[in-house]
Amino acid sequence: MYRRRNFLLFAAVVTAASMQASAQTSPIPDFSGVWNHPAFPWFEPPAAGPGPITNLSRWAEQRPAGAAGSAGLPAGTVGISDYDQLVGDYNSPILQPWAAAVVKRFGEMSIAGTTFPNPSNQCWPHPIPFIFKQFTMQMIQQKDRITMLYSGDHEVRRVRMNGSHPSPLKPSWYGDSVGHYEGDALVIDTVGVKTDRPYAMQDLFGTPYTNKLHVVERYRLREYDDVKDALERNKKENWLFNGDVFSNHRGKFLQVQVTIEDEGVFTTPWTATMTYVPTDQLNEGVCAENPHEYYSNKDTDVPKADKPDF
Amino acid sequence: MQNSRKRRRGFVFLLALSAALGVPASGGAQRTLTPDFSGMWVHPYFPGIEPPAAGPGPVFNREHRATGGGNNTRFVGDYTNPILKPNAAAIVKQHGEVSSSSMTYPTPSNRCWPSGVPYIFFQPGVQVLQLPRQIVFLYLRNHEFRHVRMNESHPARVVPSWYGDSVGHYEGDTLVIDTIGIKADRPLAMVDMYGTPFSPALHVVERYKMIDYDEAQAAVARNLKENARVPDTASDLSYRGKRLQVVFTVEDEGVFTMPWSGAITYERPGMAWEENVCAENPFEFFAGKNGAVVPTAVKPDF
Repeated sequence: MYRRRNFLLFAAVVTAASMQASAQTSPIPDFSGVWNHPAFPWFEPPAAGPGPITNLSRWAEQRPAGAAGSAGLPAGTVGISDYDQLVGDYNSPILQPWAAAVVKRFGEMSIAGTTFPNPSNQCWPHPIPFIFKQFTMQMIQQKDRITMLYSGDHEVRRVRMNGSHPSPLKPSWYGDSVGHYEGDALVIDTVGVKTDRPYAMQDLFGTPYTNKLHVVERYRLREYDDVKDALERNKKENWLFNGDVFSNHRGKFLQVQVTIEDEGVFTTPWTATMTYVPTDQLNEGVCAENPHEYYSNKDTDVPKADKPDF
Repeated sequence: MQNSRKRRRGFVFLLALSAALGVPASGGAQRTLTPDFSGMWVHPYFPGIEPPAAGPGPVFNREHRATGGGNNTRFVGDYTNPILKPNAAAIVKQHGEVSSSSMTYPTPSNRCWPSGVPYIFFQPGVQVLQLPRQIVFLYLRNHEFRHVRMNESHPARVVPSWYGDSVGHYEGDTLVIDTIGIKADRPLAMVDMYGTPFSPALHVVERYKMIDYDEAQAAVARNLKENARVPDTASDLSYRGKRLQVVFTVEDEGVFTMPWSGAITYERPGMAWEENVCAENPFEFFAGKNGAVVPTAVKPDF
């Protein structure tokens, strides 16, 4: 009698345990922490296939870390992207003719010595994918949502997990983002980034976008060997303005692979990556404060009044 | 005797099995529960800071509406409030004189600058993200956020920053946050919408707790004597559950004669949380309409 009762109890416990075990899903990747990608102006080009607009204006080599690195040096045609003279490659085959003309016009302003206004230097929200200019990001994962915080001007993106885009979709500053996990990857799909806004451009080269813009991001934690080729491409393309924080890091990297399409602007979808290293904290950055005079390599003596006007 | 030994052996066997399978034998391990502040919270008042239940409270508006509550189209801070040192009272009075001459003086919120603490309590909406080692507050207007490091101390040397250095810990059902190092050397340095100044000695302690409906209604009644309810952050008027309340204490020996307290009693929203971009500035509040006709050029200057 005891044996039968013990057996029944045993069976009940095993069943309960196995039910608990089968209710568990595969572990959700942990992207918590603050992630840093101090490289300007733009993405790591992909290993193959159509990639992002790059800069026709180049510096011969990596510049020193910090603001001193962008002290009005002569532009060239070889080396890394010259962050002081943003001339998007209007010959890129990804651009439709009208978009190429827009990019060319912005490039001409740069060559003439004008820094054209963009969301970042005018303190407006960064549309997706322009927001990838933000080099420090914190991802907060909750069960039904993901919140992404950016250090520049405390921007916030919200991603609804396991949902669909609403129909009709009302365009908004950051678009409508829905996400889900695929194994070890977080996939975020964004549409509905509003075009009716000041400085509607999707990158620092002034590339326009339309209401057909569609951005897919895939975030994964990677090891050094997985990302070292992308890090090499980054070093050859972009200015590492805080020095090379990437090459000696041997812990986890966060890498996002981005696929962008916009049939109103591009001839083809294109991809790129951005690879982050961990950092300590999300620093405050207040755009309106505007203390930097980058070209003179000093902090601005902002005009001040001795007494208030009223 | 033999039966009881068998029973004990059977019990021990089950205990061991339970442990191996990870099923709690006693029906659940006990652990301290941290209070759950999750979700969206709104505070549809402007400027908003509520008087405390007792003790010295914040500067309030000398201008009241005929129907009661502060006149939120004309801010004249009460410069006779005994919490103000003479230097601070003079600054509050000066701001009030601007309002009285029908001008709107600049503030962090109407100039799209970061709020700082405790100015940020004007925010009509907040979301609290409780993570293991930090708390993140997300605010509705102009996508402001604050970080609070949990169970840590302030560094020995605090570098002043826009939102200060905030450290927090739980005391039972209450989240306690201590903030210092809010930078005073910044445009429009004020602790409230009346222009009340602050110094580097500013120190703010916040205590967040979930309170029940009756206690919340008492706070609302106190608040309506000083502040006006605004409709643009719709709240769920049918909600009767617990709600989030923060009671905060401010001290600053540079400007205040004594510490004072204020409160914010939040409600649940009745509408979706929308993006808000200060620079967009589409409102003409005094004309009573949205969609200010912002000057636009037909073609770019360059």
